Amino acid sequence: MSATGIIETQTLEVSLGPQHPSTHGVFRMDVVLDGEYVVKLKPVMGYLHRNHEQIGEKIAWLANMPYTDRLDYFCSMTNNWAYALAVEKMAGIKVPERAEYIRVIMAELTRLLNHACGIGFLLSDCGAWFTPVLYGLRERELILDFFETVSGARMMCNYMRFGGVRVDLDDQMLAMARNIVARWPKFLDEFEKLMTENEVLLARTQRVGILPRELAINASISGPMARASGVEYDIRKVDKYGVYDRFDFRVPVGETGDVFDRFMIRILEMREAVKILEQALSDIPAGPFIAPEVKLRNFKVPAGDGYGRIEAPKGELGFYLVSEGGTKAYRYHVRPPSFINLTILEDMCLGHKVADAVIILGSVDIVLGEVDR
Amino acid sequence: MIGKGLIDGLVVTAKNFVGSYFDGDRKDRMFTYQYPEERMKLPENSRAFPFLVYDGTPDKMRCTACKICEIECPPQCIYIVMERDEKGKPLTRPKVFDIDLSVCMQCGICVEVCPFESIKMDCDFEMSRYGRFEPLQAHLPDLLKSNEYYHQIKSAEATAVDAGLKAEADKKAAKKAATPPPPPPPKPVATPAEIRAEEEKRAWQTGYQAPLGTGAIVWPPVKEKKKPVEAKPQAVEAKPEQSAGDAPWHDSGLDLAQRMEMAKDRSLADKLMAAMAQTDCSACGFDCRGYADALASGATKDLTLCVPGEDATKNMLENLLKEAGKL
Repeated sequence: MSATGIIETQTLEVSLGPQHPSTHGVFRMDVVLDGEYVVKLKPVMGYLHRNHEQIGEKIAWLANMPYTDRLDYFCSMTNNWAYALAVEKMAGIKVPERAEYIRVIMAELTRLLNHACGIGFLLSDCGAWFTPVLYGLRERELILDFFETVSGARMMCNYMRFGGVRVDLDDQMLAMARNIVARWPKFLDEFEKLMTENEVLLARTQRVGILPRELAINASISGPMARASGVEYDIRKVDKYGVYDRFDFRVPVGETGDVFDRFMIRILEMREAVKILEQALSDIPAGPFIAPEVKLRNFKVPAGDGYGRIEAPKGELGFYLVSEGGTKAYRYHVRPPSFINLTILEDMCLGHKVADAVIILGSVDIVLGEVDR
Repeated sequence: MIGKGLIDGLVVTAKNFVGSYFDGDRKDRMFTYQYPEERMKLPENSRAFPFLVYDGTPDKMRCTACKICEIECPPQCIYIVMERDEKGKPLTRPKVFDIDLSVCMQCGICVEVCPFESIKMDCDFEMSRYGRFEPLQAHLPDLLKSNEYYHQIKSAEATAVDAGLKAEADKKAAKKAATPPPPPPPKPVATPAEIRAEEEKRAWQTGYQAPLGTGAIVWPPVKEKKKPVEAKPQAVEAKPEQSAGDAPWHDSGLDLAQRMEMAKDRSLADKLMAAMAQTDCSACGFDCRGYADALASGATKDLTLCVPGEDATKNMLENLLKEAGKL
């Protein structure tokens, strides 16, 4: 106690992670705390660095496809698609229509499973320990079974190929997908009833971790994070890659940009994804599922560079590739959405309590496989 | 009313708790399999680690040790050595075929690139071992599994593969049956000008060789007998554009430089053949000799077909064809 009678406190440095259950993997936050409040936060990354980009420059174009599965291991289908899109742009490959529809189906199913788990984990961080996330994982299991039936693996699908996809969807598989899509709105209703009006959740998440619109744009935040802050930016609408211009869907946009908005945006996006899936599954045309002229071995890409980007569930996933005309990439760079979305973590956390820092991190929805590469 | 949302949520949880006992049969709520006792049926596309298919007995394996999978494998977990007989001639089957299961990432690219339908993905995922190194190395005897086993785990795929292989074999057999003796090239009808040229040539040759036959110049009879013996190698060199029957470089144990040294005085087709990997793996659709002849005659233009030879062979073929002015 000092002479004036006011308690003097010292700031305390806490290393949250990398083995902390709330950090979604091997992510570490060096937090400086004043009492319970965060005064400084430094994200520390790189514990899961695997040399992904260097490997991509050492192996053949196609051989890198299974490595992209391991970036964001929740969403291997969208990772495959972004990489295939970049290579197809450079090589000038035209993808058959059926393959485009199959890709849309796979990407939207990936969005469903990613958001179902993402908000589940966010609620786990809030203290709803594992009940909501298990509801999400239960539904995700159906999609993973579908992925296994189609591609052979639950998570490391390795499904897209340059110029199409590896395996065609037969009637049985399409019926399986329709079954999942028909079931999903029921799950969402149940989930919303479980959580969205829960007073504890509202008290925990509203007005917490606000990301202002300008900062979101300046820090090049993308995906649900940016849209929750009121940035109406969806690459499916902006680029219209694949056949996304044929589907009728809306882009949900939030107002305040707090944790609750990010939670709701994901639920609304799932509802829109269900809409896209219904349309894609009813309009899917017959035809070839892979461009026949693309060689499997000795595949070469003409010299030049290309950037392929898609709206992955977590944001803008881009692959920047440079080719010298050979069988390997000369330069291979990934623009991972969760890494860039993490950069404003400190701005969102300052002035909040440690417990809020944990849910703010949960609302960013990171996967460390992609952050560290 | 405050607390309504909370109570609604608890109703949902209660419903799920009770429902999980009654909505069984994996229809609505209960998806769990009690794993070691209960196993779910894996879908046919499901993939774990690769294995090698053989037809009938294990020595009739489909693998020809062409090393395509070794080259294309993304994490480079396959190691192949080709079997040789005691003379060192390649036997187009693997002597060593190792897969490092701790490195394999089960991507299935080896299956896609294999031209012989030899390597396939197994469904066996229960691979716990007591050790990190040797127990996780799969050697050739562990990898070999019968076609019947393949049918058992992936019946539709295996049936399609069998049908494809049979169609290919039938096609080959039909081709062989259709052309059992290679038809002699039809004798072209010679034009008068050609006949005249031929006669002139013959007359010129007769004139050149005439002294040998007259006996006028030949003095020591011994020398005369030796002459035709010396003439034999000349006869081979006289036709430089055709490939010779022998190929001392046909041994994949030699390096490219050694093989090219052996073939440096030979014809283009021979030089091209010496640039091949000498495994006769037939990944290119020929044997080594056939691919070289096809390149020399211009029947094939693709220089990248020799997979075991990798880039070194491709570059050498390009140089040779450029030197010969055929590229």
